[in-house]
Parts: sequence; C-alpha cells; structure tokens
Amino acid sequence: MGVFVNYACLFRLLLWANALTFITAVNIASDATELSGDRALNRPSSFISVPHAFQPDSFRQFLTLGLSDAFPEDMEGTENCLELLSIFGQRYVTLANCLVSYARPVKVCQNCYTDYNNFENIYKNISSDQSGPGNVSCQDSLLWSDRLMLLPSLYSGLRDIWESAACTNCLTAYQMNLSNETLNFLAKLNQSLICFDKYQQGNHSELCKKCKTAYKQLDELYSKMEGNKTLCIDIEDAMNMTRQLWSKNCSSPRKEMVPVIAVSSFMLFLPIIFYLSNYLHSEQKKRKLIHPKRAKSSHSLMNIQDKFS
Amino acid sequence: MANIAKKVSWSGKNDETRGERTPLLNGSEEVRYNRQLSGGPIFHIGRLSTVDLEEDIATEEDPVRSRPKEIPHNEKLLSLKYESLDYDNSENQLFLEEERRMSHMGFRCLEISRWVICGLIGVFTGLIACFIDIVVEKLAGVKYSVVKKNIEMFTEVGGLSISLLLWVVLNSAFVMVGAIIVTCFEPIAAGSGIPQIKCYLNGVKVPRVVRLKTLVVKVCGVICSVAGGLAVGKEGPMIHSGAVVAAGVSQGRSTSLKKDFKIFEYFRRDTEKRDFVSAGAAAGVSAAFGAPVGGVLFSLEEGASFWNQMLTWRIFFASMISTFTLNLVLSVYHNKTTELSQIICCLLYEIPLFICMGAIGGLLGALFNLLNYWLTIFRIRYVHRPCLQVMEAMMVAAVTASVSFAMIYLSNDCKPLKMDNSEEYPLQLFCADGEYNAMATTFFNTPERSVRSLFHNPRGTYNLLTLGFFTLTYFFLACWTYGLMVSAGVFIPSLLIGAAWGRLFGVLLPNKTFIKPIWADPGKYALMGAAAQLGGIVRMTLSLTVILVEATGNVTYGFPIMLVLMTAKIVGDYFIEGLYDIHIKLQSVPFLHWEAPATSHWLTAREVMSSPVTCFNQLEKVGTIMDFLSNTATNHNGFPVIVQASGEQSGKLCGLILRSQLIVLLKHKVFVERAHSRLHQRKLQLKDFRDAYPRFPPIQSIHVSQDERECMMDLSEFMNPTPYTVPQETSLPRVFKLFRALGLRHLVVVDDVNKVVGLVTRKDLARYHMGKHGLEELHLAQM
Repeated sequence: MGVFVNYACLFRLLLWANALTFITAVNIASDATELSGDRALNRPSSFISVPHAFQPDSFRQFLTLGLSDAFPEDMEGTENCLELLSIFGQRYVTLANCLVSYARPVKVCQNCYTDYNNFENIYKNISSDQSGPGNVSCQDSLLWSDRLMLLPSLYSGLRDIWESAACTNCLTAYQMNLSNETLNFLAKLNQSLICFDKYQQGNHSELCKKCKTAYKQLDELYSKMEGNKTLCIDIEDAMNMTRQLWSKNCSSPRKEMVPVIAVSSFMLFLPIIFYLSNYLHSEQKKRKLIHPKRAKSSHSLMNIQDKFS
Repeated sequence: MANIAKKVSWSGKNDETRGERTPLLNGSEEVRYNRQLSGGPIFHIGRLSTVDLEEDIATEEDPVRSRPKEIPHNEKLLSLKYESLDYDNSENQLFLEEERRMSHMGFRCLEISRWVICGLIGVFTGLIACFIDIVVEKLAGVKYSVVKKNIEMFTEVGGLSISLLLWVVLNSAFVMVGAIIVTCFEPIAAGSGIPQIKCYLNGVKVPRVVRLKTLVVKVCGVICSVAGGLAVGKEGPMIHSGAVVAAGVSQGRSTSLKKDFKIFEYFRRDTEKRDFVSAGAAAGVSAAFGAPVGGVLFSLEEGASFWNQMLTWRIFFASMISTFTLNLVLSVYHNKTTELSQIICCLLYEIPLFICMGAIGGLLGALFNLLNYWLTIFRIRYVHRPCLQVMEAMMVAAVTASVSFAMIYLSNDCKPLKMDNSEEYPLQLFCADGEYNAMATTFFNTPERSVRSLFHNPRGTYNLLTLGFFTLTYFFLACWTYGLMVSAGVFIPSLLIGAAWGRLFGVLLPNKTFIKPIWADPGKYALMGAAAQLGGIVRMTLSLTVILVEATGNVTYGFPIMLVLMTAKIVGDYFIEGLYDIHIKLQSVPFLHWEAPATSHWLTAREVMSSPVTCFNQLEKVGTIMDFLSNTATNHNGFPVIVQASGEQSGKLCGLILRSQLIVLLKHKVFVERAHSRLHQRKLQLKDFRDAYPRFPPIQSIHVSQDERECMMDLSEFMNPTPYTVPQETSLPRVFKLFRALGLRHLVVVDDVNKVVGLVTRKDLARYHMGKHGLEELHLAQM
C-alpha cells in the first residue's frame, strides 16, 4: 500500500507541478519498483508490468478529489482520456528508466526499443483525433489545453533523444527487432573483445599481432556500415571504445622523419635557387620614359616644389 | 524675379515668340498653335513636352500681357518658390588663399571633424528615435488604460456609449494638439517628410525644411498623431528628424535659438551641409527600421548624383551609431538585463578588444602588402619570361604541398572524429583510430572549407600550436602566391589567415585573462580576425562589412565588424596602400581616384594640359590626316577640329573627332571630291561606325593612293560639334570632377576667344598624386 501512496503523490505532482518535478518523480518511481537487469529479456511482451495497486480506477478516484471539484463539467466524459493519461505516465517512466540504466556504456538502442515503441504508440493514441465515448477528443483536453503543454514537451524530449541516437538505423522496419547487420557487428565485436582480454596480461606486441585480423575485420565492417549509414549510437560507442583500446596498445610510430624533412627542405630550397638565378641571369626589364608636350613643362614640377616650400 | 519670369514665360506668350520658334519647329507650328488656343497648359514641340509656368507668372505685373491666365492647380506645374542648392564650390581668390594657409594637419582635422559630426548625428538621431518610441508608448499606455478602465466599469452597469465618447474625445484631443502645432507653427512638418528630404537630396532648397523648429514640431506632431490612434507610422518623420539633426549639428549653430557654438564653421555651405543631411537621413532610416545598410542605400537611391566613397562610409558610420544608440537606450529603458549586460560587456571589453584586433589586422595587412609589393616589383623586373612564370607557379604549388605535408606530419594535435562529419577528408596519420589530425583539417582541405570550420567548429577543435603554425605558414604562402601568373583571388586566403589568428586570439583570451570563456566564443573572434585581416589587405570598408554580415547572416555583428574594418583601414593606410591599389600602380594604370589630391586647387588647366595640340581643319586634306595618324611617335586619339578665320594661323574650336572615326572615314573614302563625282554612293551612317566597333582597323591597313592624298575630307558631319571645354584657369579639382563624373576622355582647353590651347587627357590628371612629401608628379612611360 505504501507503493500506492507513493504513486498517488507522484501523479498529483504530475498534474499540478512542472516537468522537472515529474522527472524526479520518475526517478523515485524507478527506485520504488526496483527495475534492473536486462529488461528486454525479462519482459518479452510489449505490455508493462504495472504494480497491481496502481490502477486507473484509483487514479481517477484520486483525480476527482483534486480537480473535478473545481471544474465538474470540464472532466465529464473524459474517463477514457484519464486512462490514456495514466498509461502514458507508466510508459514514460519505463522508457526513461531504461534509457538511464543503459546510458554508459551506451546500449540504449539494443535494449529500449520495445519501451520506445510502446511509448510512441500511446502518444499516437492520445494525439489521434478519434473522439472517444462522449464525443470528446482527448487530443484537445490532454495536449493543448494549457500553457505548459506538458505531454507534448515530454514526448518531444524523448523523441529527440531517440532520433539523435539514430537507433532506427540499427533496427528492422517498424523497430520490431535488431537488424541482422547489427547482430553481425555485435558478434564480431565480441570476438575482438575476447581476443583483447586474452592477451591483455602478456606482451602488447603479441596482442597486436594476434588480434589484428579480428580487429581489422571489425574495422572493415564498421567502415562499410558507415558508408551504408546503418550506424546507431550503440555501435559508434562500442567501436570508439574498441579503437581506443587498440590504439592504446598498438599505434604506428613515426618512422620516416628523415625522408620527409629532407624532401620538404629540398622543396624549400628550390625557390631560393630559382629567384637567385633569375636575379643574376635574367636581364632587368627597363621602361622608356616619354617627355610629354607641355606648355610650361619645365615649370610645372618646379612650381610644386615652390608652392610647398 | 521679373527677369526669370520673362525668360521662362516665352512659352506662354504666343504671339511674340512665334517668329523665334518657327525655325525650330520645322513648320509644325500651325498645329501647335491651335492646341495652345484650346487652353491646355501643355503643348508639344516635337517629342518634347514643355510645362507651362504660367501660374506663378500670373502674380507678376507684366505690362506686355494684358491678362494673366488662371488655371486650377494640377500636377503639371512648377513653382518658382523652390530654388536650387549651390553644390558647386566657388573657387575664388579667398578660397584659394584659405587653402594655401591651411596646413596638411588642418585638412586632417577637417576630415576628423567630419567623422565626429557623423557620430554625433547618429547619436542624436538615435536619441530622438528613442524619445519618440518611449513617449508614444507612455501616452498610448495612459490612453488605453483609461479607456479600458472605463469600459470595464460600464460593462456591468451599462452605458458603454460613454466609453465610446471618451475614446473619441481622447483621440481627437491628441490629434488636435498635433494638428494645431503643425498648422500654426510649421506647416512644412506635415506628412512623412520623405518627399521633402528627397527634394533636398536632389538639390532643391525647400524652405524651412531643416530648421530646429521643424524638428520640434515634427517630433511632437508624430507623437500626438500616433498616440491619437491615427493609422500612421513614425518611420517617415524619423527620417526627416535625422536630416534636421544632421543639418543642425553640422552647422554648429542654431539660427532659431540665435546661438552660435563657433564650431564647424568650415561646413557652413550647401556642399557640406547636403552631405551631412544625407548621412542624417540614413541615420533616420536605420533608427526607424534598425537597418543601417538600408539607410545607406536610401541615401544612395535618393541623393545618388553626388556621391563618393568616403561619404558613403561616413553615412554608414552614422547609421550604425544611430542603430546602436537606439538599441542601447531602449534596452536600458526596458530594463532588459540580459541584453543590457551583453551590450555593456560588449562596450567594456569586447569593443576595445575588437579594435585591437582591427589594429593587428591593419599591421599584418600592411606587412602582407609590403612583402607582396617587393615581390611583385621583383617579378616585374626579373621574372618576365613566360617559361619562368610557369616554372614559378609550379614551384609555389610544390612548396605549398610539401610545407603542408611537413606540418601535418609533425603535428601531434589529434581530435576525436565527430559523427556529423564536419571534416570532408579526415586524415588519421599517427593519431589513434577514430581520431583525426587537426592540422590536416586546415591544410588538407580547400581554403573555403577551412574558413568555415574555423568559424563554426566548437571550442577545443584546434589547439594553440596548430593555429599558430598554420597562421604563420599560410600568411607567407598566401603572400607569395598572390601575383603569380595564375588566376587567383586573395579574399579567401586573407579570410583564412585572419580566421586562424582570430581564433588563436579567442582561444588565448580566456586562458590569460579574467574573461569568462562563455563570452569568448572562438568562432566570433575568428570572424573578427578574418574581417580585420581582409580589411587590412584590401582596405574595403562598407562593402566588406555588408559582405561579412550577409555571409554570416548575423546583423548584430555589423557594428563590431565595422569598427574592426575601420581600425584596420586606418592603421594599414598609415603604412602602405591597399593591395589592389598597389597592383594598379605597379601596372602603371592611369587610375583616377574619387577625388583630386587635396590642396591642388592652385594647379590650373594650363599646367595640367598637353600643349601644342594636333588640330584638323573642318575641311582637311587626306594626306595630312594620314600623316598624323600614321605617326607612331604620337598615339593621339582625339583631335580638336577648328575653323580657320581669315588671316589667323590658329582657328577657333568647332568640334572634336576621334581616331576611330577618322579611320572609318578613310576606309570608306568619304572624300569631298568623291561625293561630287559619284553621287550614287551610299551616305555613311552611324551603323558603319558601329560595325567597326570595337576593333577598328589600324591605320596601316588603310591604303590611300597618291591621288587620293590630295583629296579633302569634310569632318563637320562626323565630329562631335560640342565637346566639353574649359578655360585655361580652371583648377585641377574641377577638371578632375568633370573627368570623373562625366567619364571624359578628352577635355579641350580653350582661351578667351575659343582658340584651342591644349588638351587634357586621363594621363595628364592621373600623374598627380599625394606622396609622402605633398603633391608628386609621375613620369609617363612607353607601353
């Protein structure tokens, strides 16, 4: 029952307070439900395991206490909408929790896509223009009826995160599953990492030699995927880490210092020879002066000197 | 007045002038006469329509005409009320004496005070605009709150008609005040004022249009009419106010207040005043719309007939200052703390910093120009064979590549690759996988892309060493490259050098000083550095500001960019000219600048002109013409045509003929004798001249037989019968102005009986220039 009270408080906040409080509420909520581990494996179905105490009924009951006292006619016939609102809240919490748990190292695309799909579905439901029972469209009452417009901004926040992570690149159509390419990459990545681990203790040069083929294959695959634009944040991050790991151990040294410097200093030497030889051997260009016809040409320059002195 | 009236009234007096006009009108007089009788104020002479000036003459007591005609007012009349401004300088003895007494320093001071006045104009115009804005806001606020309260009061109890009446009364009262002050005190202040300012800039002296009283009435009037709820805007009056402010400030006194500050006395004439008024109008536009460039273009559009570079730049300065003042005062008034703190932090540390950057840009630009000047002289003297020039270009390319490679090779500056792929060709080299060489992004790229990445990449993209080495090498490479025998521009390289050291400046700044890094966006400093460097090299001002503002799409940078460019230009000009001017000079081009060199009024046309002039008679022997044209020593192009009076050896000027025309005439053998013998020959038309244009055959390709040499040519049909002439005493600046404004090629100098004494051409004028020790004269060289 303590959980219920907790949730009740939270949704009171959701309705009356701003987005910031809501996010803190999400954190508390995720603590309360103790969600951890590989969620994608734990919950195969798209529906969320809602704590049984938290049902739309009790939520509505609570709402009628708070809001509908003041505006009885506003809330009439919007039970459907309130239900949608509560589902939105749950799914938001689940998605946010998933994102945070896989933030570092980044594995959000692999693990949160089901949550994201659910979240997007509910938002689409709300914003679709179907009027429910009682001929009231939830779109207006839930989304746009106040200055804050909390739901759209919450939605667009998560959508922006999802889009900038470019997760769709790693998923199949409609984001139903991880794409084959991604799975392939993950397998190759695993190979390389295992190899790295194996030779970590020993000589670095040995690591460089033994793991080179695996690493090069991985690198090639990555370059290919980069060209295809099938990269998402998970793959980029994994590759970055692997590259750093590799470069820390095996980096190519500067071997050709002398030839490079020699060639470039030779090149620098050329212009000096060129200009010097030109200066010494080329005949200087001379211009012929013309004495213009002037009425008092002898005076004119003298005049200038005179008047200025 | 009566004199003028008589001169202009010829069109009205039909009977007396009939005889005079008959030859002019080629017998079409009857028709016109009828039209005139029918009473219309317009009649046609050929294609020209003449406007009747009768209305104003009607007020004169003219005994010749029995009864002045009266017609209702319409748009086809001109009023005698308006006179012209004296834009031309009167170069009398007193003027010359004053110029002689004035030192070089005196001229500098005048120039500086012009700038000061433009600054003041900007400040005052901005302040007036603020005043109008604020008072209108206050008055309208009071009005609306009173009416609102009233409406709220009567909505409950009924009687909204009283509110209606209140509103009507309030509006009428405001408008009444506005209308009374305009009609009783200063009728010229009615309307937007733009027509009057257009007239003034066009050169018409509109009475009382730039008086202090007009300004006061205009400002109060516009406040009243806007507050009175009329459908009017305050922009037009703001432009007018700017113009009045300019006219007042530049004169240093007010005749309305009878107060003389004894300053700016030199500017008390129409020439100078109108320049300032155009600056004021521009400042007004920019204050009204927040658009400094728009203001300059307004003045350009309306006053374009008298325009030069320095004036444009001063006008732009006034406009910028006016916008800046307006924004500053308004943000203080509205208490916008964020904007205000931005502006103040700008004023306190950024503007001085930018000015420093401008000075650095000017110095570096001057160094660039000086090095390039030496290099170009060397190239002209020693590297003039084509094979050498090709070799040189290839060598520069090779050295550029090898230096770039060495720099990239030795650099240790590695940055992680970004997903957004701002680098087109990231080079890894010795960096770890997933990183790229930052030095390579600057060298291993087209310069345009490098500039873009220097402007836009976030802080930390480049480290100090990279930027420093890049600036240094690229500076010398660019300097070395400009002037090669390849088609290549200097804009992007200068921008690149400037952006690199500007960014370096921006990166260093927060490290070494107290300034917070959030203010010092390195991209902004890169932009300022680019502006400073480019300004220091090419010394363009207005256009460059606009180019950079438009390229970056950020108008708020306009003011700092202008300051940077100005500083760069001033500092650079102290050492050496702009790069383009240097190259024009080195190519020995007779280039005419905007104005004649200062303090050159004492030089007259007699000293400037080339003196014995080759003239042709109106009826000239073909042999003589052939001989003159074939003479390779003299490459004359225009020949004055004279008529020989009996008993004198030199005749009076009657026209000017060009070499090209003579060649066409000779080619078609248009000789007097032939015309008599072969009447069927086609008459030469303008088309024949056009066909030959622009590559007229050389004189050597024309063959004239010995018989034909004795023939005569009649030039009167083909010469320009009214060439521009000046008397011998005309001063150099005047001749210069004629050349520059009319685009002349030949200017004939005549004596008091219209005899040709000399000819002024472009080379005669271009040889005078201001050197380090006053006026200098250049030599003429062959080819």
